[in-house]
Amino acid sequence: MSPVIPAPVPIPLPAPAWLVHLLMVFTFILHLVLMNFLVGGSVILTVSSFLGRRDTRHRELVRRGARAMPPVVAFTITLGVAPLLFLQLLYGQFFYTSSVLMAWSWLAVVLMLMLAYYGIYWFSMQQEELGPRAFWVILLTTLILLQIMKTFVQNMSLMQQPQDFYARFLAGTVGNYLGPIDAVVFARLTHFFLAALALGGLGLAILARSWKAEVPELAVWARRYGLRWFQAGTGLEFLAGLWFLFSLPAETRSAFLGGDRLATSLVVVAVVLALLAMAAARRSLAASSVAIVGTVSLMAVIRHLVRIAYLRPYFDPRTLPVEGQWTVFVIFAVLLVAGLATAVWMLFQFFRPGARAPIS
Amino acid sequence: MLGGGLIIGIIAVLHVFVSHFAVGGGLFLPITERKAYRENNAPLLDYVKSHSKFFVLVVLVFGAVSGVGIWWSIGLVNPEATATLIHVFVWGWAIEWVFFIVEIAAAFIYYYGWDRLDAKTHLMVGWIYFASAWLSLFVINGILAFMLTPGRWTESPSFWTAFFNPSMLPSCIVRTAVSVALAGVYGLVTAATLRDIALRTEVVRYAAKWVLVGTLIIPLAGVWYISTLPTLAREISMGAAPAVTIFAGLSIFFSALVVTFTYFGPYQHPRYFNLTFAFLIAVLALSTTGVTEWVREAVRKPYIIYGYMYANTLRVGEMSRVRQQGVLRSARFVRIHEVDPQKPLESGQDVFRVQCASCHTVDGYNSIRFAVKGWSPEMIEYLLLHLNELKGFMPPFIGTDLERQALRDWLMSLNLQPTTREPTSPGVQAVTPPIPPGASKP
Repeated sequence: MSPVIPAPVPIPLPAPAWLVHLLMVFTFILHLVLMNFLVGGSVILTVSSFLGRRDTRHRELVRRGARAMPPVVAFTITLGVAPLLFLQLLYGQFFYTSSVLMAWSWLAVVLMLMLAYYGIYWFSMQQEELGPRAFWVILLTTLILLQIMKTFVQNMSLMQQPQDFYARFLAGTVGNYLGPIDAVVFARLTHFFLAALALGGLGLAILARSWKAEVPELAVWARRYGLRWFQAGTGLEFLAGLWFLFSLPAETRSAFLGGDRLATSLVVVAVVLALLAMAAARRSLAASSVAIVGTVSLMAVIRHLVRIAYLRPYFDPRTLPVEGQWTVFVIFAVLLVAGLATAVWMLFQFFRPGARAPIS
Repeated sequence: MLGGGLIIGIIAVLHVFVSHFAVGGGLFLPITERKAYRENNAPLLDYVKSHSKFFVLVVLVFGAVSGVGIWWSIGLVNPEATATLIHVFVWGWAIEWVFFIVEIAAAFIYYYGWDRLDAKTHLMVGWIYFASAWLSLFVINGILAFMLTPGRWTESPSFWTAFFNPSMLPSCIVRTAVSVALAGVYGLVTAATLRDIALRTEVVRYAAKWVLVGTLIIPLAGVWYISTLPTLAREISMGAAPAVTIFAGLSIFFSALVVTFTYFGPYQHPRYFNLTFAFLIAVLALSTTGVTEWVREAVRKPYIIYGYMYANTLRVGEMSRVRQQGVLRSARFVRIHEVDPQKPLESGQDVFRVQCASCHTVDGYNSIRFAVKGWSPEMIEYLLLHLNELKGFMPPFIGTDLERQALRDWLMSLNLQPTTREPTSPGVQAVTPPIPPGASKP
């Protein structure tokens, strides 16, 4: 039986599909980096909160590290909006169907997000008041974040399996499905989790640089400690990546193992960059960061190619009619540049040394 | 039990209550900060600082996440309409996203920057926050107004005809005024916690002025807004649908209470103002938001995008095809694709799921069992034939005769107190008067 998939909206695309693909991947990379800092950072803070009961260095790491978290949550959420918007534009009929099938668990993401966000604020603002209970707050927050990650992975996996839609629909009450739990989902989840640990560690190492002037010893230790997470996470990622690769359907997998020149070279370059990032970590944090962001970006591209490959038998967005809304697009592009410039200006003012004029 | 509409409603009302504060509060902060500098008023500046913490906790977390929540819930309850809004406005959404980024960056730098930035730069960051927050309101308002008054878009579809629709401007002014009023309401809440009596008196009266100025503009722009609405929408709010009329009346009643309480309370007697009083005003303001947003959503019925798509996601332009083809055959996620005489009730239930379930639940919110309680098959049949004429806020029933009869029989099976007559068998044909496409349009 051919899969049951809703028809795409009978309104032309406001831009050619390639541009939407491009923006989707670009904005997803931004979201992914921040999301990794958030999840990885929360795991590290949880561990340090626990160790901090006996170790003052961990206690101090938590005190300082926690302050950086609220903006990370805010930007993770906001930067996640754009890729989801473009995904709905190109592949709405798949995304909405999978979301409706697991409606309650998908809707719960909103509630969990709210809880996790307030959890992060509580943890970062009330360290002293919370005392030893702080550990439980951050532990619970981290578990909620991981559950959100799991739901996302499940929905994004389900939307790629339209052949299962109708059977799922018939199987039970629509909306009560908790999402697929199979080898691909587990492999994917492990892959994301390890990446988060690695980037969370790198984030800590970068953050520790700003502690140099005040607490030089702690800064040196925290950097080394963060890099240990980075290297362990990245190292294990090679195994998880292989597992993920072999959990993919045979045709998709073979594309990345020589079948498709572009796909294969992307994987090779991503792996080489990850190795370079590990090798450079102790000498140059900047070089290592650039390399690993390169890996993350290529991984995002690869993931997108996998999605296209999964869905191609059923739908190709290139077949949709296009009526470019170019004037509005140009306004968007100009505002994006102006908006980012404004944000950079504000950040520059914030980090510029200077004293506030007191009220006389 | 809950029904999609109710879930969206709960999230949306809370979001509206906070997101308008996100805009108005963004004006309240720099203006009050500037006032403190000009008057060289250090206690007032301390108040602004503490208010900014409250602001960040409410706006950045609850405001942002509940906004995501609306998107999540409309995508689940009404994917077709959501997808349509995304197709028509994708660059509008993208522009709004840029404003969100600037807004969030500015909010954090404003909040963390009290001790790091000089006064002038800090104020500037406050203004940047307000500008981007208001611009995000400007964009989303255009999209929301489009759903009720798509105007020329239905004839000449383009981003611009959709965005600059008839009710966009008055709606934008109403929302801006609401933002100013809500900034005052939240200001009253934080002002009521101040310990210094002189400062509390000053700030309470000051915040009350914000409420009064905002609520003064709302009715003026409101009249303009109402004048741009489709006739049917106006009629629904003024008597055609009693529930909607009651809510519209409540909206005016609650607004009047907010003004009266604010004027005679914090404005006239700021010294005696306390936190309980502040919460009372906040609850009244939330109630006003709730009923007003409910009315705004209700008057759009029977459509979700006026004149283009019905509340049950059927496009007006597709009516004749679906009527011919049948609703079960047109829908994809149904168990039965053609009325099955062996399974009349299941067929009817599937028709219900496709045509009615976006507004009705069986036993919960807007219960269909309750709606048909005590009805006879003839009454149900007659109602289904003339749905849009008898109940102006409902779309017409679209489907084949067999589908309508299957629906009728399923509805009868829900009837807790059936009349003495037996449900008519699904084989009996009734004559359907042809409904010309667009007949239900005002």
